[in-house]
Amino acid sequence: MLAELKEIVVDFGPVRAVDHVNFSVRPGEIHALLGENGAGKSTLMNVLAGTFPPDSGSIYVKGEPVRFSSAKSAMDKGIRLIHQELNLCNDLKVYENLYLAQEIKGKSGLLDSHQMIECAQRVFETMGANIDPKAPVSSLQTAEKQLVEIARALLFSCEIIIMDEPTTALSGRDIKNLFNIMRTLKARGVGFVYISHKMPEIFEVCDTFTVLRDGKWIADGNIADVNEKQISEMMTGKALLESDFASRKSNVQPEIALSVNNLNSDGIKDISFELKKGEILSVTGLHGSGRDQLADALFGVQSYTGEVIKDGKQIKGGIESHLKAGIAMVPRNRKERGILNDLSILDNLSMGFFNTKLKSLLISPKKERGRFRRRQQDLSIRADRPSNPITSLSGGNQQKVILGRWLEADADILLFDNPTQGIDVGTKYEIYKLMLSLSAQGKSIIMFSSEFAEIMKVSDRCIVMFRGEINRILNRDEISEESLMYYSTGAIIEEKQHA
Amino acid sequence: MPNKRQQTDAGIFIKKLFTQYSYIVSFVLIIIIAMAVNPNFFRWRNISNIFTQSATTTGLIALGMTMIICAGQIDISVGSQVALISGFGIELLNRTESIWLMLLFCVAMGGVIGTFNGLLVAKGRMPAMIATLAVQTSARAIINHFGQGGPFTVAGGNANAPFYESFRMVSSGGISVFGNRVSYPMIIFIFMSVVFGVIMRRTKLGKHIYAVGSNEVSARMAGVNVDRTKIMVFAITGLLCGLTSWLYSSRLMAVAAANAGNQFEMDAIAAVAIGGASMSGGRGKIIGTFLGVLMFKIINNTLVAANVPTFLTGAISGAIIIVAVLLQSQRDKRK
Repeated sequence: MLAELKEIVVDFGPVRAVDHVNFSVRPGEIHALLGENGAGKSTLMNVLAGTFPPDSGSIYVKGEPVRFSSAKSAMDKGIRLIHQELNLCNDLKVYENLYLAQEIKGKSGLLDSHQMIECAQRVFETMGANIDPKAPVSSLQTAEKQLVEIARALLFSCEIIIMDEPTTALSGRDIKNLFNIMRTLKARGVGFVYISHKMPEIFEVCDTFTVLRDGKWIADGNIADVNEKQISEMMTGKALLESDFASRKSNVQPEIALSVNNLNSDGIKDISFELKKGEILSVTGLHGSGRDQLADALFGVQSYTGEVIKDGKQIKGGIESHLKAGIAMVPRNRKERGILNDLSILDNLSMGFFNTKLKSLLISPKKERGRFRRRQQDLSIRADRPSNPITSLSGGNQQKVILGRWLEADADILLFDNPTQGIDVGTKYEIYKLMLSLSAQGKSIIMFSSEFAEIMKVSDRCIVMFRGEINRILNRDEISEESLMYYSTGAIIEEKQHA
Repeated sequence: MPNKRQQTDAGIFIKKLFTQYSYIVSFVLIIIIAMAVNPNFFRWRNISNIFTQSATTTGLIALGMTMIICAGQIDISVGSQVALISGFGIELLNRTESIWLMLLFCVAMGGVIGTFNGLLVAKGRMPAMIATLAVQTSARAIINHFGQGGPFTVAGGNANAPFYESFRMVSSGGISVFGNRVSYPMIIFIFMSVVFGVIMRRTKLGKHIYAVGSNEVSARMAGVNVDRTKIMVFAITGLLCGLTSWLYSSRLMAVAAANAGNQFEMDAIAAVAIGGASMSGGRGKIIGTFLGVLMFKIINNTLVAANVPTFLTGAISGAIIIVAVLLQSQRDKRK
């Protein structure tokens, strides 16, 4: 046993992120850690990698109990976590990043850059990656940056490498390459923990699995003994609920709510589509497909050329004119782009009203509280007192407050950008249901998402993007895991190019 | 991470008092010390003096500074603004002999300089510290150039000039309330504090200021016009610098270009800090700043009464700022 976690508990405020979980990694195994967003996978791995200590429970490395005070102390034990978000300093060179905080010094006490560059070069060669150690990181593609992260783990001959969704930004060829590197290292006795939402990859490369749900241990075993469906059911625990969504009726009405013609902007080209009243339209695509940029352009965050027409009128650029036209957005990355963390729940909710409809000079706290109570009921926001800070709420409830913000502004086109990021399974389903009931009220929804599961649950149609363009618009009966994957990896466009 | 142990109501109250309302604790402490050192502390004359001194120096500016700091910005040009506006204002007064025209001029000029600061920060994407540092240096240089080292003196120091006395009364005049004289600056300071308190708590602008200071990106995504909000806080502070210049000139009747308004930025920022605002933006209260301003003057007042050598008073003020802000950083850490 390389490493063992026993009865680990982690609390974030009132939320128990990890609840008495056991987990272990053997040498020479690739262990899939599975669970929906917010199931506690990343938290558990942060504990193993020393990022923060557990509230209770114990960690053993090669049978010895250890206590990690920092990521550094875990690295000294040969454990390395490759984060989902890349942790590279863009302004430094590749080799400087590789050796950051572990620089090689010469006899004089100054840095020995020759040796660092040489070692880095060797690691890249064993990986079969063509990256110049002297290049600045800012000049690399996302996939190359990912490889630099992996090289960092290899450089210090780690025994346990934890990979948190390493392939989201990689193309098919890079993924194959990565898997080959993993297999080579596995043969040398390195243990991997592999976190990914992509089922085919799990079945291709992993040996064993552990499933977490809502912070709790659900199951473990050998990958060979299970199939995809069983894993999904273990992850969601809601086989029944799935069928609720499968049989849902569509609320699409014939009127066109929004038409987008030849939208061009940074990262997107020639986007044209129409959104019907009451429709739920999803937009998906891999990282870098232009999905984020399209979301930003449609809310006026990012400037664009082309037409966005609502109610027969073309909307001018800028967030304010989009809001005035009734288009609102629940942004991705709730913590950085959504909530106003110093403000109360009430002010976070009312901000949409203030910015669109407030007529009087003074704000009436009494009316604000009334508004809050109404939304609290509609959206079943679980909050104690409206004057409490927004940060006292769980992620899902924060998201509901932001949604309520725009309902107060009477928006009738709602853009949900990655709305269930980091939200527990139960609340996720509540948000899907809210989307459905909003569409039944005649509101139109565009949901930007990378989770195929949720796209299949709620969408009437789905736009699949590839390299900044619309690759294909799928109708509801065409949406499946396979078709979404097929078109988001650029199948049609690549075929055209080869023809 | 929250403390899961059960706490008594009294415990919570005391904790809240020391963390969220640390400025009240500091204020009470300072009053007690002041009373111990200076038996005449609660005389009306002394109290009135404290208010008048506050209003004619950094009191009003600190109100604007609260907005700026809550919006996550900083303005270190306010002292030089006061010097520049006072100098030109007195020149204008001497020529036009109208104190009201001077008021208008001062406020307008402050508004222009403040808006310029705001434009540099919002549209020019300059860090507020650097933009206002540049304005601070330039404003001081300009007024030094025009003053050529000498002071700007109302009516050339001629007390018989027709407007001399009426301008002096701007800061030393007042009305009588229950036999106690309340000076105009005191009235203005209290009135403006109330107005600013209402703006911060009960208007869209106030909410926008907190939103921008809390997280600019989120504020933008919530439909807040971030640039306009930033320009507004600097412009409002400029207006207050203008108003202060009028009062300040009236109190001194002669303004030296080189050292007028010296240290005003630091005193104003310190008052906001003592008042419990978060220096990184998003949180802060006008009532805190109001008490912060008074605390500052009370400390000075008390040190003088206690015969502390003048040059050392700064060191003691500094120590008090450290203690006040330490209390606050403990609060932030707990979050």
